Amino acid sequence: MRLTKFVAGSAAILVGALALSGCSAGSSDSADGKVTLTMWHNSTTGDGKKYWDDTAAAFEKANPNVTVEIQSVQNEEMDGKLQTALNSGDAPDIFMARGGGKLADVVKAGQAMDLTSGLTDATKTAVGNSLSAFEIDGKNYGVPTAVLPSGFFYSSDLLTQAGITDTPKTIDDLEAADEKLKAAGIAPIAVGAKDAWPAAHWYYNFALRACSQDVLNEAATSRNFDDDCWLKAGENLESFIKTEPFNDGFLTTAAQQGAGSSAGLIANKQAAMELMGAWDPGVIASLTPDEKPLADLKWFPFPEVPGGDGEAGAMMGGVDGFTCWVNAPKECVDFLNFTAEKANQEAYATAFQTLPASTEAQSSVTDPALKDVLAAYNDAPYVSVWLDTLYGQNVGNALNVAVVDMFAGKGDAQSIVDAVNAAAAKS
Amino acid sequence: MAVLREETHTEEAARGSRRPAGGGASALPPAVPSPRARSHWPKRAELLLLIGPALLVFLAFVILPVVLAAYYGFFSWSGYGAATDFVGLRNYITILTDPAFLEALSHNAFIVVMSLVLQGPLALGIALLLNRKLRFQSLIRVLIFVPYVISEVVVGLGWSLMLQSNGALNGLLEKVGLGGLATDWLSDPSAAIWTLLVIITWKYVGFAVILFLAGLQGIPDEITEAARIDGASYWQVQRYIVLPLMGPTVRIWAFLSIIGSLQLFDLVWIVWGQYVAGTAGTSTMATYMVANGRNSGSYGYGNAVAVVIFLISLVVALLYQRFILRRDSAVTTTGGAH
Repeated sequence: MRLTKFVAGSAAILVGALALSGCSAGSSDSADGKVTLTMWHNSTTGDGKKYWDDTAAAFEKANPNVTVEIQSVQNEEMDGKLQTALNSGDAPDIFMARGGGKLADVVKAGQAMDLTSGLTDATKTAVGNSLSAFEIDGKNYGVPTAVLPSGFFYSSDLLTQAGITDTPKTIDDLEAADEKLKAAGIAPIAVGAKDAWPAAHWYYNFALRACSQDVLNEAATSRNFDDDCWLKAGENLESFIKTEPFNDGFLTTAAQQGAGSSAGLIANKQAAMELMGAWDPGVIASLTPDEKPLADLKWFPFPEVPGGDGEAGAMMGGVDGFTCWVNAPKECVDFLNFTAEKANQEAYATAFQTLPASTEAQSSVTDPALKDVLAAYNDAPYVSVWLDTLYGQNVGNALNVAVVDMFAGKGDAQSIVDAVNAAAAKS
Repeated sequence: MAVLREETHTEEAARGSRRPAGGGASALPPAVPSPRARSHWPKRAELLLLIGPALLVFLAFVILPVVLAAYYGFFSWSGYGAATDFVGLRNYITILTDPAFLEALSHNAFIVVMSLVLQGPLALGIALLLNRKLRFQSLIRVLIFVPYVISEVVVGLGWSLMLQSNGALNGLLEKVGLGGLATDWLSDPSAAIWTLLVIITWKYVGFAVILFLAGLQGIPDEITEAARIDGASYWQVQRYIVLPLMGPTVRIWAFLSIIGSLQLFDLVWIVWGQYVAGTAGTSTMATYMVANGRNSGSYGYGNAVAVVIFLISLVVALLYQRFILRRDSAVTTTGGAH
């Protein structure tokens, strides 16, 4: 008797467990035509988070059979979490992507949906060139929401206070400005090296100046740093680091979490400038004492470095966008088309205080710093994707860590090249 | 740990099998096959029911992952789909020749030794102190144990905030006129590993104290009283009676501490983040594994690192069993026989 009960009980638990796992195993079209889309994005607070909630609600209103389930994932957790989810076969239908080698890895594994035929002409026209970041072997795998070129965001009050009248045009100008700021008792440049990528952005920008566009792109397939310009970029960065331009304790400074982060230091006028992507005004605004945009925030492009193969005015930056999982319902691409609509892109630009991917929505940019970014972006001969994104997770991670080592005085230009070339062995 | 338990089992089994051969069994009337002995099935079914689920869970969540990790360690695998790119021992060769891994290993070794050296005497001292009648005794006990109970994430965040170069500790040093001592506690490679040791000691000394207190309370009062009547001083009692009797407890604590130090991950990860631990000189084998496995999307390589960590821990555990813990089991066995 007891045994029968036990077996029956176990069977009941097993059935229950199966039912539960059935519930959580992604989402798909069900018999009654109801569709659930799950979506992962990286805005955990404030207006950005609200934007996605509102946009999802608007999409649900226009498509009554669709429910959008939104989950916000902390940015530094996104890559690892997404990979685990994709590998488990229970991935979100819509997930954040930034193109380049990282997306190529996902596509190669057959985990991203080919959107080529699903994208409307309106979407293609609106986002224009930035769509190419999501193109792999002639097919499209994502829709951009923002273009995020990098440059220096700075507090103009602090620069004025230090007696700097013109923004630095060359790297020598920048070093001179740093000295003036230091003399005025102001930390010149904040960098969140704890997160590695903010430090690595320095190397990317020096590489952008030292290497030609072809060399940058060729490395995306060879994933090898053989050209001499990579060494040159490292040497330039090393000699710049030797001038000690960064905030105290930059190795344990995070990028954008809390008042002690590099963005927090700018927001609270503890440091004068930082090299960052165009999402920075939004992040800084969330960290000012009154959580309002920093009134004197301005922008200038990465200075020219003489003697390199990079074209003057070229920019390093990223494209944020979204990709559909290969097993996502077909409504996924409708949602992406929806996000590219003018009104939604304008709302996006306002909520995130950044540059929208849609050229039609770019007129909604009013922030003076962002207007300067936009002008430089439209004039740039070319814009390279962040090198860690371009070269994929394996090489990208090794590159970022090697740059942090250089910041700590632990390695030189050659060790960055070696780390990248050795990364392939660990893949 | 598993090995430890296993040995205890065999020991019990040995003792158990000895018992019927001794007086106990022969004193019983001649064996008549009981109804129970005739059919083994209900007994077996009961065993299967009781052990089965636990065994299944153990196999599925402990043994299988270890086997799978060993399997994936032979592949270059980015984590998506099936692993197909067989690379033989390449991952293992890369690991054992990677200076970053060897550095991490040396940090682990340093932490193993220094944890024993710092925490052992400290905990023993505190335990001896708390074993006497003291005012606020239970309050002090609780306070010493609190850090062990707080989650690693909270501890890591708290300490990292205090120790930042513009944090509370440097602020305090400057305020009391010791500004010259202020340093970058977290990222200066000559200071960082000591900072880590301070945090580890603060966090885990409470656990050692509790273990030692339990050990102290297991020492019968009669023995210490007898010694005192014979004219032994307090220190003589501690040195010649209490400490030797504490041996088994100390040896078990040291075992747990060594294994914990070898697998140290969370505190380093929280305080130094995903990237800086190697630069600051506080990386451990486990942080190396996550940085070069999961974060790099190199899951085959990460699995190989996991296997290396497993083997190192296993060898250390076995050696410790063989040469140090064996004394304790030998003592118990002979003690039981007499």
